[in-house]
Amino acid sequence: MPPVVAALLLMITMLPGFAAAAEGGARTLSAAELEVVFPGAHAVGPFEGQPAAAAVRGKDGRHAGYILSTFDTVGSTGYSGKPLDVLVGVDLAGVITGALLVRQTEPILVIGITEDDLRRYVAGFAGINVALRGTLAAGAAAPQAYPDVISGASISSAVIRDSIVRAATAVAGSRGLLGRASAAARIDVASFMPATWAELVADGSVTCRRFTQADGTALLLDLCAALATPARIGENLLGKLAHNRLGAALGPDDQAILIAAAGLVSVKGTAFVRSGRFERLQVVQGAETFGLTTAGYVNIEALRIAGAPEFREIGVFVIPAGAGFDAGAPWRIEVLAPGEGAGEPAILSIDYTLPARYVVSPPSSAAAAEPAVSEAAPLWQETWGGRWAAIVVLSLMLLVLTTALVFQEAVVRRPALYHRFRLAYLTVTLVWLGWWAGGQLSVVNVLTFIHSLMTGFQWDFFLLDPVIFILWGYVAAALLFLGRGVYCGWLCPFGALQELISEAARLLRLPQIVVPFTLHERLWPIKYVAFLGLFAVSLGSTRLAFLGAEIEPFKTVMSMTFLREWPFVVYALALLLAGLFIERFFCRYLCPLGAALAIPARMRMFEWLKRRPQCGRECGICFQRCPVQAIHPEGQINPNECVHCLNCQRVYADDTLCPPLAARRKRRERREALTTGAGPTLGSA
Amino acid sequence: MLGSPPFSPLVSRRRVLQIVACGAAAVLTGARAHARTPPIVWEGTALGAPARLILVDESEKTASATVRACLDEVERLEREFSLYRPDSALSRLNANGALERPSLDFLHLLRLSVAFGERTGGAFDISVQPLWQVYADHFATHPDGGDGPPPAAIKEAVSRVGYQRLSIRSERIVLAPGMAVTLNGIAQGYITDRVAELLRARGYASVLVEMGEIRALGPAPAAPPWSVAVAVPPHVPADPLSLPLRDGAVASSAGYATAFDPAARFHHLFAPDTGASAQRFAAVTVVAPQATLADALSTALFVAQPETLPAMMQAFPSARAILTLPSGRRLRIPAA
Repeated sequence: MPPVVAALLLMITMLPGFAAAAEGGARTLSAAELEVVFPGAHAVGPFEGQPAAAAVRGKDGRHAGYILSTFDTVGSTGYSGKPLDVLVGVDLAGVITGALLVRQTEPILVIGITEDDLRRYVAGFAGINVALRGTLAAGAAAPQAYPDVISGASISSAVIRDSIVRAATAVAGSRGLLGRASAAARIDVASFMPATWAELVADGSVTCRRFTQADGTALLLDLCAALATPARIGENLLGKLAHNRLGAALGPDDQAILIAAAGLVSVKGTAFVRSGRFERLQVVQGAETFGLTTAGYVNIEALRIAGAPEFREIGVFVIPAGAGFDAGAPWRIEVLAPGEGAGEPAILSIDYTLPARYVVSPPSSAAAAEPAVSEAAPLWQETWGGRWAAIVVLSLMLLVLTTALVFQEAVVRRPALYHRFRLAYLTVTLVWLGWWAGGQLSVVNVLTFIHSLMTGFQWDFFLLDPVIFILWGYVAAALLFLGRGVYCGWLCPFGALQELISEAARLLRLPQIVVPFTLHERLWPIKYVAFLGLFAVSLGSTRLAFLGAEIEPFKTVMSMTFLREWPFVVYALALLLAGLFIERFFCRYLCPLGAALAIPARMRMFEWLKRRPQCGRECGICFQRCPVQAIHPEGQINPNECVHCLNCQRVYADDTLCPPLAARRKRRERREALTTGAGPTLGSA
Repeated sequence: MLGSPPFSPLVSRRRVLQIVACGAAAVLTGARAHARTPPIVWEGTALGAPARLILVDESEKTASATVRACLDEVERLEREFSLYRPDSALSRLNANGALERPSLDFLHLLRLSVAFGERTGGAFDISVQPLWQVYADHFATHPDGGDGPPPAAIKEAVSRVGYQRLSIRSERIVLAPGMAVTLNGIAQGYITDRVAELLRARGYASVLVEMGEIRALGPAPAAPPWSVAVAVPPHVPADPLSLPLRDGAVASSAGYATAFDPAARFHHLFAPDTGASAQRFAAVTVVAPQATLADALSTALFVAQPETLPAMMQAFPSARAILTLPSGRRLRIPAA
């Protein structure tokens, strides 16, 4: 189904009933308790969410923070092993507003420590910033971070401190108060500009560090690191072929890291051959450790970039998408120098921060540095802003096409203009839309869309690529109005390529094969079977379905411009070769996207392709002239197969080609000759 | 050597020790005198205990991001080395008797620990954890303690101690049957070093890190050194130690901080050969270039046979030790 339309329907049906189910909520606070836990609180909502907490509103009615229970959140128990419960308030900056002990059975109360001591101790947590697990101040007179331990009850004190800090951190973290970005940054992997080694080092795309032995004499390690996924880095360093091969092997959101080293220390070691992992290397980001394994690892003999120094070891290592690595946030590579020969083992590290030019969304580090809760613009708005030029050009393209279709009679009445317009338009579709703007739609889009309908549709996801989104929106509308041909015949870059090749073949007078209609008709279903097969597979394994979607040569031809493993290239070339003799061979019989579009297009509302009663009965010119043989011998146009090229309309409007029109013209000419009396035949009679 | 409770959420040697140390450590007069701006001080918790960072020449703007990076590093390493987290790499090793694909840090620290074991003649042994279990079980059922666990039980636990029976390979680490490992005698020092190195890599030249142990970078050559005070155990008639520190680390071990009984006759610092809580010293403090070394060495000195100490210290020429006897007398190796 066209995404936009279906999404709209879905939005409408989804809106009510979206409220999260509240949990707990039975807990109530007295006004006095509230004043201790959250001074200035005006209203408190129910305890809800995971972990449970109650939203607090201030006097001005605005959201001010949360109140939580340590027992509900972390199951806090005291020294006695019995439940211990502290209510804690946390404001939106992650600072504890107050804490109140509401339940405890600590044995220390027996030996002379009063409940007031405990209450005072608990109240002393106000002011602690849980994001920093302490306080930060200039000068030696730092305020006491945590209240003094109750003398004689150090263990109870420690239990209580731990409960408060852990519970408050859990709630603050789950509510996004700790400033850690939840979504990984999106990286611009596609943009390519040639660059030299020196340029990449200068702008931080590659970082290097030199380690010498403690006495400063021998070079221990010259270590360089880079994120190889963005084309501007990876393609420059590795060459186009190797980078494309790498890109093809990477799953979506997998990240590739290039490590290059020279010096006494081997960063790879030799154990990886046997164990499958690089025991001397790790990537660290925040509190996460990523071990490097041979999965996806590529040994690189030499860098292909101008000006690179000599390295002894170069490798590209893969961190899989699910590992939790955020390529937009700072990370570091750590190398364990084993300390063979002279010296102790040591861990050498190099920090890396992807330069902002590659980051499509704001890096999470910026968010972390500024813990204030701000309303960040959605990710898609930024990607749209970054591609405004492509959006403008695409909109113009679509406007031109719409105009041409609306005024198609005027266009097709001028055969030369029509022909030139079509060739020009297809060239723009192929070169600009396909190769430059990455606007090749694919059956993969359809599968993802259907899946998102089943698992929870999110606008943000589909809005990320403005070109694809706008194109799909237009195609969806065109599908409803006119059928799938508007896309297939005008906007599909691969379709355009096939038609242009066929045009060239005709110029070269290559023989064109006319498939007998009965056979032709029997071959149509292949593409539907392909689509249904892909859909069925995608229900089980998305990965397999994406693999199967390689039946489309789009990736090979459009996004990777033939720089790919040879079987893919051979397949794509074979299809184009077939297209030399049978126009749009792939579209006719194999394209699963065409099939996917043809199915919902049965709902189409208008029929702008005109026919005459004589079509198919008295005349079969259109049947013969249709480039994709979408016209039945009986004369009707099959909308499932039609690419809306308007060729039949050109014939329809041509009073030298279309027999009924030609007959009418002749009649008219005869009549005109009669009325003027200047007819040469009559004059002589 | 040091044993520790496996799952008790909080009660560890370090938590108590640090509460003691916190009141007395790290004075910043020297650093402040030469800094352009007042140093930034963070006080909070790390490794479940009070901790502190002092950053000289740091702006308040970047301080909170820096502190977070340090805490992330602590969190990352706690996921490796904590005995109190059931999902840490160490807990998984103890629970399963093996750990597949240990991380670089885990592998490195275990190999360092074994190397320290070799260099201390077996006094530093990370496999004393079975002894802790015996003592903990005993004191759970006998709150007054009596004369400690029955000798047979201790003997049996000692038979399961011995880091030599660890198999350490990059694919997997395997324990011998009945073995269990604690890293509480070295991991705090290691984490302290890692945080200090992280700050150094970020360009900090003058920093005091107190994350379980104390490690200093700087201060600037012209400035007076950091001054670190180390508390004395209660009832020991001695003054607190005051140690000048420049680019180095300080670690202390004291039995009273992890005692099972009020008199601290039984605590978590076990001699690996006899299985008894070592009693010769009230406290051992080591000053060394790295906190990892200071931490492991203070633990080893505390439990080793006294006659072996000078020879042991000779293997670590960069370190010096201050041993406080219960009488309050202090021994220094090498003699000052």
